[in-house]
Formats: sequence, structure tokens, C-alpha cells
Amino acid sequence: MSAGPAVLRLSRPLPRGLGLFLGLLIWEVAARATAGSFIIAAPSQIAGYMVSHSGLLWRAFGATLASAVQGFVWGNLAGVLLALLAVLLPRSERLLLTLALLVFCLPLVATGPILRVLYGPGCGPQVTLAALAVYYTTFLPVLVGLRAAPQGWFDLLRSYGRGRMTALREVRLPAALPYLVAGLQIAAPAAFLGAMVGEFTGAERGLGVLTVRALRALDLPATWAIAVIAAGVSILAFAAVGALGRKFDLAPPEVLMAAPVARSRRLWDAPAQALLALGVTLLIWKGSMEIFGLPRFFAKRPEDVWGYLVTSPGAEAQRARLFGALGETLALAGPGYLAGLGLGAGLALLLVLLPRLAGAVIPLSIALRSIPIIATAPLIVWALGRGAAGTITVVAVMIFFPTLIACQHGLARTPRAVLDLFEVYAASPLRRLIGAQLPAMLPAFFASARMAIPAAILAVTTAEWLATGRGIGALMATVASTSDYGMLWSAIALVGLAAVLAHALVAALERAVLARTSAEQLAR
Amino acid sequence: MHFQTPTRRLFLGGALTTAGAAFIAPHRARAQDAVALQLSWLHSVQFGGSYIAQKNGYWSDAGLEVSLLPGGPNAPVEPPVVAGTALVGISAADYTAAAVNQGAPFKIIGVAMQKNPFAIASLAENPVNSPADLVGKKIGMALANTPVLEALCTINGVDIAGIEVVPTQYDAAPLVQGQVDCLLCWATDLPVAMEMQGVESVTMLLADHGYAVHSQTYIATEDSIANRRDQLVALMKGEVMGWQDYLADPEAAAELTVEMFPDAGLDLATQKLQAERQVPLMFSELTEAEGFGWFTDETVAANVETLALLGKPVSPDLWDRSILEEVHG
Repeated sequence: MSAGPAVLRLSRPLPRGLGLFLGLLIWEVAARATAGSFIIAAPSQIAGYMVSHSGLLWRAFGATLASAVQGFVWGNLAGVLLALLAVLLPRSERLLLTLALLVFCLPLVATGPILRVLYGPGCGPQVTLAALAVYYTTFLPVLVGLRAAPQGWFDLLRSYGRGRMTALREVRLPAALPYLVAGLQIAAPAAFLGAMVGEFTGAERGLGVLTVRALRALDLPATWAIAVIAAGVSILAFAAVGALGRKFDLAPPEVLMAAPVARSRRLWDAPAQALLALGVTLLIWKGSMEIFGLPRFFAKRPEDVWGYLVTSPGAEAQRARLFGALGETLALAGPGYLAGLGLGAGLALLLVLLPRLAGAVIPLSIALRSIPIIATAPLIVWALGRGAAGTITVVAVMIFFPTLIACQHGLARTPRAVLDLFEVYAASPLRRLIGAQLPAMLPAFFASARMAIPAAILAVTTAEWLATGRGIGALMATVASTSDYGMLWSAIALVGLAAVLAHALVAALERAVLARTSAEQLAR
Repeated sequence: MHFQTPTRRLFLGGALTTAGAAFIAPHRARAQDAVALQLSWLHSVQFGGSYIAQKNGYWSDAGLEVSLLPGGPNAPVEPPVVAGTALVGISAADYTAAAVNQGAPFKIIGVAMQKNPFAIASLAENPVNSPADLVGKKIGMALANTPVLEALCTINGVDIAGIEVVPTQYDAAPLVQGQVDCLLCWATDLPVAMEMQGVESVTMLLADHGYAVHSQTYIATEDSIANRRDQLVALMKGEVMGWQDYLADPEAAAELTVEMFPDAGLDLATQKLQAERQVPLMFSELTEAEGFGWFTDETVAANVETLALLGKPVSPDLWDRSILEEVHG
């Protein structure tokens, strides 16, 4: 997207660096003026802390980065393999999507203790949590990318008698590359955040450990210095992945012509699939806990949850408590989800019209995504209060970044030939946006709408735990601290079910829309 | 990446110890048994006595190699103790009671904090000096701690309806920013943080107003008490010796903590202040007479009463003094 003559521009660009300097100055003055209320640290204080504690920060950074890099590699590898499996064995796709979604929904209050018991001391839990934070947001875009090829190419290969593997190597993988780049870019800050949060499970060192310490010590310069480092490294990783991606992205996007898909689905197809997914989920749930010999005390099996919610004497009261909390949560997660999704897609479209804004918007978005929410939440709560506005904002903040990045990459997949056509007719940028780029963005948009479901759940539960004290997030934090693991696993099961249903809803919407705009995504 | 299952770890550990004992036994009196002590939070002088025991070899002299596992926001103490990855965990009577009511086979075998560290912290210009002062105030706390506030109100005849509870995360910012009038927190952390930042605060210890809940309690499973008794006695003996040294010189304990954990981001002055503040919670006339960690039938009875108010009914059997009796005997 070059800044062509048709694109709006600021009439006279300010000298480079002046904006940054002014921003820092305003920040400094604001921090100094509010020093007594401990809200923000001044840039000079942050710099001072970094200099005086450089050794400590450096060692902590090294520890967190090592976990984040390992988690990044494993998580993305898993995401790509899942996508390949789903394309090579189309029948397994629904099942894989469901399982991947459910694992992604597992909250830290449950996974933390289990991982620590499995790995013991060391960085195992941090690496695993970093990997868990990224595999899903790579899986979905790559799956879209593996299908983003013209039907004619597959027909051609088939006419030569070539099989699925040739199609994969010659057509699908090259088509998936740009989508993989989007996935890796989204993964970069998520892996770092995952490693930091992973340190909450009892790590010896790292930036996550220092964050907890700094927050409790009311040490604002330290909190902000760590946030700046986390944001900085994420921005660098994001840019590096992007640069690497541009190197490999040689072929311009093709026009994808695909015949509309009319699938003759048998009536019992959907229930059968759902039943299969349920059965496999329960089997994996119970099987993994048995294989690792996890004590029933904190690793509840499916039958324990059934007993807790259905057959035990207190089941009715426990159900009422759980469903009440879920209702409170969904009431806030829904608006936050829509707001974040709208904001992400809207920003991506806006950046097409005003590309100069990207220089400011993208780094800020990465920063918001890479700083642990326990460090940003106090600021959001202070600004917006503990009511619905604060919670909805936290949710929107957590999901708009992956949406923005995925949509940007989707927009960049607009076929050159189509753009040329609009150019020939001297169409306005807005017209080009609506007529050519928006439809090209839709597959990526729906991929992010799926990714955003578990992200919204994680965000809303975190906000509830930290700020509002309501809903299923507060419930899970409370019961985890009082060893009420029956309630915790019941909540996890219910949240997982809600996520799967929401996912099914988005998928149905996606099928309806893409059948008109991108039928290649639906061909199996 | 290092991946182990607890069963394999136990098997390997057992096999290695057996093999080790067979080879080393002729040369040395006793092989080193590797055990873990699960701490309840990140490393800090809160566990100063344990660090002294480690450094001065109180455990290694007794044939025990103790690893001190740090806790954290998502590292509850109870699961590793149930799973056997930690021999002993540092919990609190209310958490232990809750876990036991959920089926965990725990006993409390020692009590580090005789007085519960929970306190109401407020600012000097708007102080909370007694439970009655809470009426009409906004208190910031985790909603999970609502039973604590309810118990305090019941014990002191205060109407809880007059107090506005604001759910906050655990730091002092909501108080200094004026979002709340007071905080429910530990007397040894947030008030210390405020003092280090130059904010003067008032702390009212719940334990001074009838709230009797043992804290920083040592827990072990019934199975360990029956089958790993020697290790438990050796571990608790090292703890007792370490904490006795701590009492003699809390400042040195703070210095040792900072020195042992250079990556923990600890500030020496803060650690010294915390070290000093926790002394009156851990040491009393009772510990002077009977030794560190001790508890009596009377202190247990008071705990049982408060725990019932907290909705965590327990029997006095939850406490098992036999290990401490061997340590001190």
C-alpha cells in the first residue's frame, strides 16, 4: 500500500522526531503533576530506573525472552501442523477446530498449578503457556491461507493425476505464506506476554516476577520500565517478522475465482459431528489427567464435574451460582467482543485511507497487547472506573490488535488485477475500499472473529478478577484460592461450551457471507 | 524443555536415592534426601528463616537437601503438596481448612505466624483504628476475602451493611489514589510499600480484634506424616533453628535474602522494614516458652471458632503437634 496521490495526506508533515519529543514532554509534565496519586511514571523516572537497575532488568529480560522464543517456536509449529492436518484430512477439521478452541480457553488459574506440578521448577510452564498463547492465532490464519488458491489450479493438478501432497506443496503452502506471516506477527507479542504471565506460576526470575513485585511495592517507575521493555521487544519482533515476510512474499495476490459451493449436507451431519467432538474432548480430558497421574483434588475429571453440577446434594445451588456468574460475564463479553472486532477492522480500513497513521497506531496496538493486563488494568480502572465501561474496554483492547493485523494482511491480498481495474476507471479510494479491498479482507476478518472469541473470554475474566469482582472471572479466582476445584472445572467446562457455541454462530455467519465473496474458502 | 510426570519423578527419585544409598552408604553416614518446601509467595524475607536454614546447613547436616520453591499469583500451595512434588507447603489455617473440606488429606504441623497478618490499612488523615471506624467507609479488597470482613464484623458487633466493599486488585494504588478509604491487606506488605514510598498509613491488625487464624502454617499430607516422618522432623528442625537465628538478627536475614536472590528485584531497605514488622506476628510469649512454630490446644480452639465464622468448619484434629514435639523433644 504505497501512499499514492489519491491518498489523503497531512498538508505539511512535521519534522521527524518533533512529535515524539512533544509527546514525551506532555507525558513527563502529566506524570509530575499527578505524582502524589501514583497513576503514571514519568519518562525520566522510567529511564532512571532502567539505568540504575540495568543488570537486574537485563537478566530478567533474558529469562523471559528465552521462554518466549521457545514457546513461540513450539506454539507456531503446533498451529501450522494443525492447519495442515485440517486441510489434508478435511473430515477432521471441525474436530480440530473445536479441540484447539477448548484448549485455548483453559484459564491460567487451572493450567498454572497443573503445569507446575508436571514440570517442577524451571521454565517448562512458562514455555508451555507462551506456546498455548500463540498456537490458535497461527492455526486459524494459516488454515485460511492454505485455501486461498484458485480452484482452477487444483483442477489442473488433478488433471495431471497429482495428489493432495503435490497440491499442498505447489499451491497451498505458497498461498498460505502471507497468512503465516500475519499469524507470526500476532504471535510475537502474545508469546512474550504468555511467558511473562507464565512466570506467575512460581518462577524464580523474569519480567513477570518483577511486575508482580513492582505492583505490590507501588513502584511505578519499575512497573512502567518493565512495560516499556515488553512493548519494545514485541514491536521489534513484530517488525522483524514483517520484514522477513515481505522478503518471501514474491508473487502478487491472484484473482481467486471459485464456483459457489452448494453443499448437500445430510440432516444428521451436524449433530453427529458435535457428538464426536464432545466424545473426543471428554476422552482427552480424562485420559490426559489419568496418564499424568494428576491428583483428583485439583485435576477434576469429567465425571467429577457431572457430579458437582448434577448429582451431588448441593448441585442445584452450585448450578445457580455458576449460571448467574456466566450471565454477568456474557453481558459484558458480548459488547466488548463486538467493540474490539469493530475497532480492529475499522482501523485496518482507516489505515488504507490514511497510511501515515500506521506509524503511530501499530506500535501503540502492539504495546497494549504485550503488557500484562495486571499492569494496564489499574490505569484503565482509574480512567474508566470499575463498571461496565472499564470491562468492555479491557476486552476491546485485548482483541482489537489481532483483528487489526489479520485484517491488514487480508486487505493486502486484494488481487492486483482488481485494483488495476479500479485504477483504470479512476475510482475514488473509498470506492476501491468498499468494492475491492473489503471483500478481499473478509476471510481474514472472519478468522479474527473466531480468534477473538477465546481472547474476549480471557480478557473479560481477567477484568472481572482484577476490577469488578463479578462474573465467572471473579468466581474462578475465588474458588481457586479456596481449593474449590469442583467449581473451577465446572466453570471451565461451561465457559468452553459457551465458546464452542459462539464459535459455531460465527462459523455459520462466515459460511453465509463467504459463500458470496470467497467461495474458495468453503471448497473441500 | 524438561518434561516429567510426577510418577516418573517419584520413581526416578526413589531409584536414584536407593542406588545412591547403596553406593554411598559405606562412606557416609547418610545420603542426602531431596525434598521440596513450597513457599506461599515469591522469594522475600517473609521466608527469611528458611534461607538461614539453607545457608547455615541446618538441613544438609541432617541429611536433607531442601529446595525452596517460590510461589506466585497463580501458584497455589496445596496442589504440589497433594501431588507429592513438595513435602511441605506454607499455607494458612483458613486455606488449609478450605482444602481439607474439599478432600485434601492435610495436617498443620507447625505455625510460623502466631498472629494473623491481615490488617486494615488506611491513610493517617482518615484512619481506621478500630472495627467500629469501618462504618461508612469504602474498603478495597478481593471479593474472595469477604468472609474475613464478615467474621471481623461479627466478632466486634459491627453492622457490615454500613461498609462499602470495592473489589480491587492487591496493591496500595486504590488507597493512595483515593478510590477507597482503606484496604484489607497484610500488615507486612502494602503498608511497608506505602512507607517506602513516603505515604504515611495506619494499620489495624485483625488479630488484635479477635480474628484468630494461624498463618504461614506448615502443611503436610497424612501419608507423609505416617511414612516420611524423619524427613518432616529434619525439615521442621531446620526451620525452627533458622527462625531462631532470624529472631536474633532480622536485619541479617534481610541482607541474606537480598544476597541469595539477586534476580528477585528485592530492595534491601524494604526487606529490612518487612523483616522487622513480621517479628511480633511470629514470636510471642508462647514461642519463647515452647519454641518457634508451637501451638496449644487453646490457640487451636480459638482458630476453630474463627474458622467456623469464616464458613470453614474444622475439627481440632487438623492440627498435629507430633512432629514439633519430636523437633523440640
